Amino acid sequence: MVAARKIIPPPGAEPAAVGSPPPASLAVKGGDFLFVSGLTAVDLKTGARLHGTTASETRQILANLKQLLEAAGSSLDRVVKVNVLLHSMLEAPNMNDVYAQFFPDPPPARTVCGARLPDGAKVIIECTALA
Amino acid sequence: MREVIAAPRPGLDLRRHYGHHQSPAIRAGGLIFCSGMLPIDPETGERRHGTLTSEAHVILGNLKLLLEAAGSSLDRLVQVHALIYDSIEYDVLNRVYRQYVANGPPARTVWAAQIEAGFKIQLDVIAAA
Repeated sequence: MVAARKIIPPPGAEPAAVGSPPPASLAVKGGDFLFVSGLTAVDLKTGARLHGTTASETRQILANLKQLLEAAGSSLDRVVKVNVLLHSMLEAPNMNDVYAQFFPDPPPARTVCGARLPDGAKVIIECTALA
Repeated sequence: MREVIAAPRPGLDLRRHYGHHQSPAIRAGGLIFCSGMLPIDPETGERRHGTLTSEAHVILGNLKLLLEAAGSSLDRLVQVHALIYDSIEYDVLNRVYRQYVANGPPARTVWAAQIEAGFKIQLDVIAAA
C-alpha cells in the first residue's frame, strides 16, 4: 500500500506574493502526523522577513504557526514536539516567556538549542503535530 | 490522541525546576516524543556538569527512566538526534552511546550545537510506544 503524503499550502499569501520561496513546503501531512518546516519570522501576507528581537520573532512565528496548523485542520494543542533553534542560548528565557503564552498546559515536548541560523534569523521553530 | 508522560522522578520535571514550558514526553500515534534530555540529577533536578562521557551516562540513565515509565525502553528507540558542543568529541560520544544501544541501534544524526547551561551533550529522541 502506498501511504498518502499531502502538502499543506501556506495560509494567507498567494505563492506568487512570496517572491522566490525556498524549495520547502511549509507543512506536509504523512501518517498520523503533520510535519511543519522550520519557521522564521515572516509576514504571512507579504512573505517579508520581520527582523526583530528573540521575543518578537518568537511571537510572530508562533502566531503564524497557529494559523498554519489551523488551516491544516490541526491546532497548537495537537502539537506533540517542538524544536526551537536560537541564535544564542543566552536568549532562551526570552523565547520561553513568549512561548509559554501560546502553548496549552500541559505543553508539548520540546528541544531548544543554539545554532547558526540563515538570513539573520534569531529564532527558528519547527514542530510535529497530530494531523 | 496526545498523552503527556509525566516525569518519572522529581528531578526530571524541568518545568518545575527551570521553568521550561515543556512536558517530559508526549505519546501520540504509536510514538513517544521526548523533550531534549539533559544531564540533570533525576532526584534533585541539579545540573550534573562533567565530561561528555559522564554527562551522556546521566542523560541515558534519565532517558531509560523516562521511556520505561512510558511503557517503552532504550531498545525501542527509533530516532536519535545527538547534539554535542564540539564535533571533536564524536568518537567519545560513540564510545559511551554504544553501551546503551547494543540491540540494534536506532537511526541517528549528530551535530554540534550550543546547549543550554554549557552542557556538552543533549539527546533528542523518538521511541516506539
